[in-house]
Amino acid sequence: MAIYMLGRIIGGLLTLLCVSALAFFATALAPGNPAAVLLGNMATPERVAAITKLMGLDQPLPMRYAVWLRETLQGNLGTSNLSFRPVNDLVLAALPATLELAIASLVLAVVIAIPLGLVLAQRRDRWWTRPISGIVTLGISVPGFWVGLLLIVLFSVTLKLLPSGGFVPLGRSLSGNLRSMVLPTLTLAIYLIPSLVRFVRVTAVSVLREDYIDTARAKGVGPTAILLRHVAPNTLITTITYIGLQLGVLISGAIVVEIIFAIPGLGRLGLNAVLNRDYPVIQGVVLLAAAGYVVVNLAIDLTYALIDPRVRAR
Amino acid sequence: MSEATLPPALETAPPVQKRRRASVLAYLLHRSPLAVLLVAIFVILSIFGPWLAPHSMTDTNLSAVLQGPSPAYWLGTDTLGRDVLSRLLGSTGVAAQAFLIVVLMGGVIGTALGLVAGGLGGLIDLVVSRVIEILQGFPTILVAIVVVALLNPSLTNAMLAVGLGAVPDFARVARSVAIQLREREFIQAARGLGAGELRILWSEVLPNILGPLIIIASFDGAQAIMWEAALSFLGLGVQPPAPSFGSMLREAQSYLSIQPSLAIVTGVAVSAIVLGLNLLGDALGDFYDLAGR
Repeated sequence: MAIYMLGRIIGGLLTLLCVSALAFFATALAPGNPAAVLLGNMATPERVAAITKLMGLDQPLPMRYAVWLRETLQGNLGTSNLSFRPVNDLVLAALPATLELAIASLVLAVVIAIPLGLVLAQRRDRWWTRPISGIVTLGISVPGFWVGLLLIVLFSVTLKLLPSGGFVPLGRSLSGNLRSMVLPTLTLAIYLIPSLVRFVRVTAVSVLREDYIDTARAKGVGPTAILLRHVAPNTLITTITYIGLQLGVLISGAIVVEIIFAIPGLGRLGLNAVLNRDYPVIQGVVLLAAAGYVVVNLAIDLTYALIDPRVRAR
Repeated sequence: MSEATLPPALETAPPVQKRRRASVLAYLLHRSPLAVLLVAIFVILSIFGPWLAPHSMTDTNLSAVLQGPSPAYWLGTDTLGRDVLSRLLGSTGVAAQAFLIVVLMGGVIGTALGLVAGGLGGLIDLVVSRVIEILQGFPTILVAIVVVALLNPSLTNAMLAVGLGAVPDFARVARSVAIQLREREFIQAARGLGAGELRILWSEVLPNILGPLIIIASFDGAQAIMWEAALSFLGLGVQPPAPSFGSMLREAQSYLSIQPSLAIVTGVAVSAIVLGLNLLGDALGDFYDLAGR
């Protein structure tokens, strides 16, 4: 047990180390001297050389990586090449909006998708299952950000009910915050729901084929009780792992949604950094997102090992 | 791209031995005519689009901006007076390129890795499996950001990132089927005849996993088209003035209140292509499932 957990933790740390190296070298090797970008049309060879030295860009790469890694581990992500503000501050300022968006839409998606998937699995022969399955397939095929645009057309342009973009921090106004988050949350949830429904349905169908379901039926347990007491728990364990792996989709989706609705979150920070070659910010955002991904999946694996003895035996 | 919607049963699906080619199309036409129709339209338009386009894809006409549908411009014009229909046809070609880059890259690298890992086993399998595990599900958008930061925003670079995400899908299936086949009689027979392991993988195992690989190709190809749209929308993919579904939607967003039809027709077009490929994947899955039983 302890060995299994230790193995997973070391594996997670190794992944993070790989990602950090990837983030650092990819951005450091990129064409275009940040010093020249920084100076813009004021660039002269002497100035570029001076700034390059000042930023430590003349050091050998492994050296720069070591310095960067040491600083990062101490919680110092460097200074933006663009705004000269500490990356820590920029990231911390952007984090709340992204977290709120991601958590709200994940909760919404789970609350809708899991019951729907379970019911679709059990009542496969009803007249309404086929059209719903059709909508799910359609949902998988529709680009998430396009749904966002359609929601803007409907709720902002036509009905004039909700703002088409912008973000009001929770601290400033609760109602303003909620109003500004309805469409983004809905967009991201609609993006997440179809594949989750599909996964839950497929998993639940295979659980329904198990012998213990037949046993329960033979004992006279009703269909709803079977679904809630036998199918749901056994489906949920696998589904949680799936959601952990889906975190990549959530991160990607959140970035796109932030751009559509002009939400000042991590995604917008990262994208602007890429388009302006602001390397420290790119590294910070990529590393933070990757760390979130690794840590959540690690936590899921470890919880799994605690509640399901079969995992440990593997 | 493992975040996609691959049916979980695919990995454990029994390998299919022999089947008649003609019956695939007949089955698909019967099971899902819509899939065949949509995919056929996609293929035809992506090849012949440039000849079918009524106007130039990039020429601007500032005396006719943001027009609705008219006899001259069937689907209207965009903010620079460019013909929307022509630009959609160009975008279809770009989508086809995205499909090909991702499926070729993911398919070739992923299948090779999976076959070698599953067929040879041992340390190679251990290493490859770990790499696949790390790649799998890792946020495609982060890879895309890093790749674009390293190189430049372009269709090929964006699709390299997406293709990298498709590698694990192909590798997982190829590996598990290769493991299942390793001890089967016809493989043993080939080994007994003195064939080397790599030769066995190429000429005995590979033909037996083509079915599952085609299914993955249609799902991951559909995802690739969605990713192309998303990344171009973000400005990380196709660059203006070249048309692409993503860049068209990006431009359309600024004019949602004036000309919403711009965003609507573009979204419908890309959704129809992706829907066709997803339905095709579903139908192919059923076909191979039936044939395998």
